[in-house]
Amino acid sequence: MLHRSLIISVVAAGLFVAACGQEEIPPPPPPPVEEGPNQDSIDAARRAAEEAARRAAEEEARRAAALEAAREALTAMVFFDFDMAEIRNDAEGVLQQKVDVLRASPAVRLRIEGHADERGSSEYNLALGSRRAEAVRQFLVNAGLGESRFEVRSYGEERPREQGSNEQSWAQNRRDEFVITAGGNQIQVPGGGQ
Amino acid sequence: MRTGVRNANQVRQVNPGGPRPRLPGGTALLMLLLATSAGQAAAQVDTIPGTVRHLGVVYESYVPTLAISTFTGRFGGLTVAPRVEAVIARDLRYSDRFEMMDSIPLAPGGGAVDYGLWDQFGADWLVTGQVEGLGDRFVLVLELHDVVFSEVRERARFSLPRPDAEDFRMAVHAISDDVVRWITGEPGMAASRICFSMESASGSQELYVVDSDGENLRRLTNFNSLTMSCSWSPDGSRLAFLSFASEDPAIHEMELATGQSRVLEFNRTGQPMTPVYHPNGEEILFSLADGAESGLFSWRVRENCCLWRLTGGRWNDLSPTFSPDGRRLAFNSNRLGVAIPQIYVMPAEAGGRPDLVSPYLYGQGGYYTSPDWAPSGDRVAFHGRYRRGSYHILIADVAAQGQRLLQLTYEGNNEDPSWAPDGRHLVFVGERDWGFGLFVVDTVSGRIRSVLSGVRPRVPDWSPSLASSQPPTREN
Repeated sequence: MLHRSLIISVVAAGLFVAACGQEEIPPPPPPPVEEGPNQDSIDAARRAAEEAARRAAEEEARRAAALEAAREALTAMVFFDFDMAEIRNDAEGVLQQKVDVLRASPAVRLRIEGHADERGSSEYNLALGSRRAEAVRQFLVNAGLGESRFEVRSYGEERPREQGSNEQSWAQNRRDEFVITAGGNQIQVPGGGQ
Repeated sequence: MRTGVRNANQVRQVNPGGPRPRLPGGTALLMLLLATSAGQAAAQVDTIPGTVRHLGVVYESYVPTLAISTFTGRFGGLTVAPRVEAVIARDLRYSDRFEMMDSIPLAPGGGAVDYGLWDQFGADWLVTGQVEGLGDRFVLVLELHDVVFSEVRERARFSLPRPDAEDFRMAVHAISDDVVRWITGEPGMAASRICFSMESASGSQELYVVDSDGENLRRLTNFNSLTMSCSWSPDGSRLAFLSFASEDPAIHEMELATGQSRVLEFNRTGQPMTPVYHPNGEEILFSLADGAESGLFSWRVRENCCLWRLTGGRWNDLSPTFSPDGRRLAFNSNRLGVAIPQIYVMPAEAGGRPDLVSPYLYGQGGYYTSPDWAPSGDRVAFHGRYRRGSYHILIADVAAQGQRLLQLTYEGNNEDPSWAPDGRHLVFVGERDWGFGLFVVDTVSGRIRSVLSGVRPRVPDWSPSLASSQPPTREN
């Protein structure tokens, strides 16, 4: 019994360290050792096991949330001004988060997909989309990430997010989208303490 | 008025010193030739830059009147005659070369054509037709009468496919084009199709074709993916296009007779786009964007080899189009800035120097894309806008390097012009208050007609003439 609860605690602590490192307090000390099996010690052991399991589940949830946040950072869209392929100021923060996750997750590869709004010609918008995708690829490569981790593709104006013919929809459609093409199961949370 | 003005060359002539020619009622349209000049353009806000200076007003100096008499039938041909006549009458109307007088019955009793009567009606030309049944086949005997000179100018027998056959309408279109050639000496465009891409019922973007008169719309591809930028081979037997059907976007080539298509494998990274055939039919020119660079590359489709770069750099070069002799090309490039794409012309060889043909003025902006070189060889059509104005269809004189432009549309937004095989009409995508559609503009009269409406077509390409190589039996 004692053994089991200890093992559970240790496993929980191990998981915890692996997941979130220094951010959280260490697991509780093992329950007090008592002479021989009695009901109290059995209860205590059970409580400890439950507590450890709860904490493990919490940590797992926290870890999953952090992972999800990292994944979202990777796939968060960036938006562009009309007829422009320059990275906007408000996109730099989004891209910096991607850089952090990509640095922590060397196995991850991305496809950057450039899009345009419906104005202008369909064919020129393919070119505009490819410039928008390329601008972000340059940003990521300039941040020190390997070129081979990115491919770019343009859909031009052919895959709008919003169907409306107004500035609100157009602003949503002038964008880069990001698709994780490899290493999706090896995303590491930046600052994860490896 | 009519005397002597018969052939196309005379019709096209503008005689500055002569009397002011008649403008056909109802179709009169002032075609303004715009000349750009830096100083005056600065004052304008959103119209295509240039002085609105009347260099020439009247293009269409004379439009002959063409009458069609009700087609008759023999040996069972009467069941088919009205259908044949209806197709030919509409084709001739759509040719925009004639004032049409439709379905005028012959004088009672038939017999000889009463030229005096037709002359009183105002007809210059008269077309009569008789459809003869021949077993389950039909033959059209067509006559072109010169009313002014009171004589039969042309007479020919055309075998028709079975009326329920798929190629029936196209065969009749080819006859219409023969009539146009008989009268004007110039090619027609009735026997042709228009390829474009459009969203299918299942939500994917596929290739479609429609006959030049808006009939016979059908889907060509079923990739369940994004497919666009179709381009006809010069003989009309193949199409090149961009498709995202495979893992990476790729140029495909389809054999129209079989519907089979294949991916062109260049063995080179980057996203290809905007393919177009060389007039020799053996090479495809396309744009390839790779990293920060892009350029125009040619590829020999027959041999499946030999990637060759004509131009390019740290910008986008795209939408190439060859001059009819294959010696020059026009293309779209944003080498002056992403927001101000322009149209360039250069020799079709590596290292050629590109010259602007769109009306770029330093510091003035302007957005011009989607060039298509005219079959006549001297002009390039494209679309564009100035600052925040609307997108309109424009034609530039290649020799004038952007200094002389003709604006063809004034309503809504208009994109992606493509020349008809007659070198006179353009198809384009128009956006109006009520939606999108495929339109045709006659560059001579300025008349615009709708081909398809209520759909959202993209990047149309007009085929070469699809008239069969079999000439009719001519009788004189």
